[in-house]
Formats: sequence, structure tokens, C-alpha cells
Amino acid sequence: MTLVMRRVYVVVVGLLLASGVLQFYFAAVGAFTRPQTDDAFSLHLLNGRIFPLLAVLAIGAAALAKAPGRLIGLTSVPLGLVILQTLIIVVGNAIGGATEQRTTPLALAILGLHAINGMIIMGATSAVMARARALASASPAPAR
Amino acid sequence: MSTIGLIAVDLLVAVAGAGTWLGAAVAASSGRARATSILAVSAVAVTLTRVAVVAVLAGRGWWFVQEKVFALPLVVLAGTVAAVVLLTRGVAAAVVPLYATGFAASVGVLSPLLTGYPLGLGQALASLSVVAVATLVAWRVTSRSTVPITRLLGAAVVLGLVGVGLEALPASSADGHGPIRTVVSDLRGPSTPAPGGSVRRFALAAQKTRVTLASGAAVEAWTYNGTTPGPEITAQEGDLIEVTLTNVDIESGVTLHWHGYDVPNAEDGAPGVTQEAVPPGGRYVYRFLADQVGTYWYHTHQVSSEGVRRGLFGALVVRPRGDVAEAGRDAVDLTLPVHTYDGIVALGQHDGVQEVTVDPGTPVRLRLINTDNQPHRISLVGTEFRVVAVDGYDLHEPGPVGGAAVRLPAGGRADLAFPMPAGAVALLVDDDPTRATLRIAGDAAAVDPVVDTVGWPELDLLSYGTPAPTPFGPDSSFDRDFTLVLDRGLALVDGVPRFAQTVNGLGYPNIPDQRVREGDLVRVTVINRSIETHPWHLHGHRVLVLGTTGSPLWLDTFDVRPGEVWRVAFRADNPGIWMNHCHNLDHAREGMVLHLSYEGVGSPHAGH
Repeated sequence: MTLVMRRVYVVVVGLLLASGVLQFYFAAVGAFTRPQTDDAFSLHLLNGRIFPLLAVLAIGAAALAKAPGRLIGLTSVPLGLVILQTLIIVVGNAIGGATEQRTTPLALAILGLHAINGMIIMGATSAVMARARALASASPAPAR
Repeated sequence: MSTIGLIAVDLLVAVAGAGTWLGAAVAASSGRARATSILAVSAVAVTLTRVAVVAVLAGRGWWFVQEKVFALPLVVLAGTVAAVVLLTRGVAAAVVPLYATGFAASVGVLSPLLTGYPLGLGQALASLSVVAVATLVAWRVTSRSTVPITRLLGAAVVLGLVGVGLEALPASSADGHGPIRTVVSDLRGPSTPAPGGSVRRFALAAQKTRVTLASGAAVEAWTYNGTTPGPEITAQEGDLIEVTLTNVDIESGVTLHWHGYDVPNAEDGAPGVTQEAVPPGGRYVYRFLADQVGTYWYHTHQVSSEGVRRGLFGALVVRPRGDVAEAGRDAVDLTLPVHTYDGIVALGQHDGVQEVTVDPGTPVRLRLINTDNQPHRISLVGTEFRVVAVDGYDLHEPGPVGGAAVRLPAGGRADLAFPMPAGAVALLVDDDPTRATLRIAGDAAAVDPVVDTVGWPELDLLSYGTPAPTPFGPDSSFDRDFTLVLDRGLALVDGVPRFAQTVNGLGYPNIPDQRVREGDLVRVTVINRSIETHPWHLHGHRVLVLGTTGSPLWLDTFDVRPGEVWRVAFRADNPGIWMNHCHNLDHAREGMVLHLSYEGVGSPHAGH
């Protein structure tokens, strides 16, 4: 059972990683879409909702795979950081004083962190992937 | 600090709280006493800060903090236990209480983002369940020995399922419809004009057309009669307007909604409520009296987020009987719908600079209509002007305006008037002179005024003009009092769970109707908790904004910006079932729609 769950865990984290890669791809699609309509970032927005769902599944899979506490903690890092992604947008616009028509330098300074945090999310997800695979290929856990 | 600023600060502090509590828990489970103490002390300080921020925010309105008043005490309670255990029994014993506090704080971050206002019993139970499950797992994982958590885990999951079940239950139909005395389809307009008026007949055919804008840019548009904006419908006060709508090839169907015009219910063009959408080959005749003078517009209301965006709209302008502009003498009277076609902003069909020649001294009236989903900023350079009307309604003693921009909410209108000066005048949309711009000059040689309008303040219509008597006001006694809290969150929209645009935590069609009786004086409070602007639009009635210090403001569309609270009132004098929705039509599609319905009126149509 645990052995199967460890494979499931690897698969879920793999999907999470793929969703993360796609998110960068869709951001570029949005940035280069002409005309620059409201729909330009629709794929980025859609996938941006799938990522946190996969992140929650990954945490659950880690727990069921009887991963060590440290790894379960690491697996929850992408979820925490993706919430931060949304907050960067909210806080950037609200505190930066941006309007519908116009951003401000302060707002952009904060909003730009969205890309940096995105890279950190990818780094964290990759780290989870490496350990999830190590866990799956390690000798089976002693039966409890 | 602005309310939306406080909301943002609260979110930041909430994240810091979750981070520090979870950090303390991780440090404790690794046996690092010093790090645990530092993080726990920080967490306590952050939590106390959050209590203070929430208290200030509560002063801006209960709606802004309601859901926090559940999650925050949970954090304070768990945090107190964790701190006491840490001080009295040491780091190892504090691991699980610290995790519990961290999870409670995390739920406190998520609940304003996912559920918002109001946090119901079901959501509270689901939140408790999440905290309990996460804490039990953390307990199991961090304890050296095997802890029997299976039963507790089962209980926590059941608790969560009960919570989700409570949320998924259909809303109680306490607003039962009672006996139906009138059906919507009987609420038709008159067939004869007012004395002295004539019948103005128009035919509009909805069809797909490739439209070329002034710059040469081609747009695959949906049009009325092959043009977008559609033909301008004009009339004089007292005329009967009769419009025959046909549909050539718009598969999803079309209607005509008379935005801001308080027509009889069956003429309102709300598909599924006041009529069925007109399919290809179909037809519907609209008749109503031109009894409101001013600038209005019409647009399709079927799949309106797509239909209006693609071009199914036009202007409706009603002038006083005998008005000189109608006779075409002297005055210059221009109707200027602002629309964004595939990202290209246009004034009418002009997506670049439009030149108009006007003799100095001539009275000029510019009728601006925002047909987009987003607000626009309109700046007039080269002359002072007066905002003589907003949403078709004349303002009282509007003063001269210079160096300030006029904000047009999505769906809103403003009429700007000025005598033509000797030099040139330019009208800019969103402060951008390179995009759709109207240039008015006495002669072609006039030098363009070069002014950067970006820094111009926005004209505050709430204090513009002077007060005048109104039939009711802030101190009237109201028969009905409704509150609409606008937010973003998880909700069912047409039966599908979505990250929806919500009203009181619900999405269409689960938002209860606002039920009124004919003759009621109704007050509506609209609160925006979200980070997006919501242009609120009630069909069939214009509302009086309560609490203005300038001219009375009778609006049909008002922008409720993030963190704002608007109080408006209207007399329920137009029986029917009326749509009441966000005029960012994408938000409407994502759930932000409800109905105002009169007692005794029923609809035979599917959507109700």
C-alpha cells in the first residue's frame, strides 16, 4: 500500500511540476498575445487554479505515502508560495495605488516579484520531486 | 489608510502570522529551542498586530471582517495554549500546539480569499476540520511513538463533510413567490405616443460583419445593421420608440436592453426573465415611450459578455421637444460611445484622432458612453467644461471644471458641455493622446494643446454641483433595506462550483431575489470587499445616491471600487422582474447577478 502511495506521490508531484512549467509557458503566451485583450492570460489564470489543487493533492499523497515529516513540510511549501503569488497581485495593486488604467512604479516593483516567486516555486517543486523519487526508490518502509 | 489598503495589510500580516507559527512548529519539531523561542515570540507579536488591524478594519464595516472574527480567535486560542505549553513544558511538548496554531493561521489566510463574506456555519465547520486533520497528521508524523489518530481523523473528516454539505444545500426558499397576479409578458409598453409626440420606427438586424475602423484595422464584429456602434436611435421627449429586432446569424441569440431607460418590464430585453432570446430568423418588437431626456444606450443582453464586446450596442439619445440640436442648427451635439474592439480603443468608429471643425462660440455637447467592461478616464484639454448630465439625468448647477478627469463607469454616461473656445480642444480617453482622441478646432491651423493629463485628479461627482430637493433622502424611512456584499470566492454558478464573483457569498442563480412591493421605498447598501471594481447596474430603475453634498445624483450604473460602501435608494414604481448585476459583463457571467422582483409578478421564461 505504502509502496503504491509513494509512486502516486511521485506522479502527483510530477503533475505539479508540469503545471508549474506550463504556467511559465502560458505567461509568455499572454505577454505576446496581440491584441492585448482581457482573454490573453486566460490559460495562465486557469492553470493558476489547477496548480494549488495539485499542491493540496501532493501534500495528501505525501502523508499517505508515509513520507517523513520534513518531506511533508517541504511538499507544502509550493502551496504556501502559490498563495503568496496571489497576494503579490492583491498587495501590489492595493498598496502600490494602481488603478484599472494605470500602474504606479511602486505597484510594478511589487508586482514584478510575481515572476521571482514563480521561480522559487519551481525550485521548491523540483526539490520535492527529487526527494519523492528517492523515497519511492528507497527500500519499502517496515510494515506497521 | 484606504479600506482596500487595510485589507491588503491584513492579508500580509495574516501570511506573516501563518509563516511564523508554522516556522516555530518546524523549529520545535527539529528540537531547536532557541529558534523556536524567537519564532514564537515573533508569531505572538504578529498575531497581536493582526488583532489591531482587524479592529481598525471592523470600524470600516462589519462586512470587511466578519469571516476573520471566526478564524482569528481560533489562532489566539491555539496560540495561547502553544505559548503556555512552550513556557511550562518545553519545546518538545509544544510541537503539536504550535502546528495547530500554524494551521489555524493558514486557514485564516485562505478564508478571506476562498470564502469571504459571509462565513457560514458550514464553512466554519469545514475550516475547523481542515485544521484538525492537518494537526492530527502533524501529531502522528512528529511523534516518535505510534499515536492512535484514526478515529479522531475520521471524526474530523466527518465534521468537514457536514460543513461542505451545509454549504451545498440549496438556499431556503423563504422568499416564496406567493400568488402570481401578473406575468412579465403582460407588462408591455404603450402603442401610442404622448400628445404631441410621433412614432419613431427603427429596424435592427443582428448579424456578423467584418467592420473596418477609421485606422483601417478590421474587426470580426457582431453588429446591428452591419455597423458598430449600431444605428443611433434618437427621439424627442414624448415620442413612441418602436424597434423591430431581427437576428440574421448570431447563433447564441440576441436581445435589446435599453440601458438606463426605465421601460416596462417586457421591453427590457433580459433573456430568460422578460423574454426569450431572439434566435436566428426570430423577431421581437420593442415599444416604449421616450419619457426620459438624455444619453442612454442599448445592447444585447444574451451572452452579453461576448455580444457587447464584439459590437452589439448603440446609442439611444432623447432630446427635449423642440431642442435646437435636434433641428441641426447652431449647436454641436456629438454622441461618443467608447468601446474596445480586440484591444483597440475607439470613440465611435474612430480608433485614432478624429478631427471636427467648430466655429468659436458655438455651444458643444459631448455625450460619452462607456460600453466597455472597465471604467475609462475622460480628460478634456484646451477648455473648461461642465458635466451637465450623468446617466442621462441633468445635474443641478454644475460648475466649471478644468484640469480634472471624468471617470466613466462601465455602462455609465456623462454629457460634457462648453462653448467652443478660439483654440483647439482635445478629448482624451485614459490620458492617452496616441489612441482614440477627439480633436475639435475652430480652424485647421489651431495649435494643439499639449498637456499631460496623467496627473489630473478625478472629478468627484459626489460633491459636484449644488444640492436640490429630492423626493426622498438619507433620512427617509425605508420600506426595504438590502445589503449586497460583493466579493470573490468559491460558489456555485449555474450549478457548477467556480471561483466566482459573488454577492453575499453566493453566485447566480442562488442569490435570493430582492423582493419588493409596488410603491416601496427601497435602500440598497453595496459593499465591495474584492480587489476589482464592480459597476453596479439595476434594470428598470434609476437610483438616488444617498449622502452626496453636491447635485443630486440619479444613476443607473455606479462604480463600487475596492473597499467602498455605497448607499443608494429608489422607489419601486416599475413592476416586474428586473436584473440587478455587475456591469463588468465578465463578472456577471461569473455569477454576479441577482433579480429584483415585485410581489405578485411571475415570469414564464426559463431563466427564472
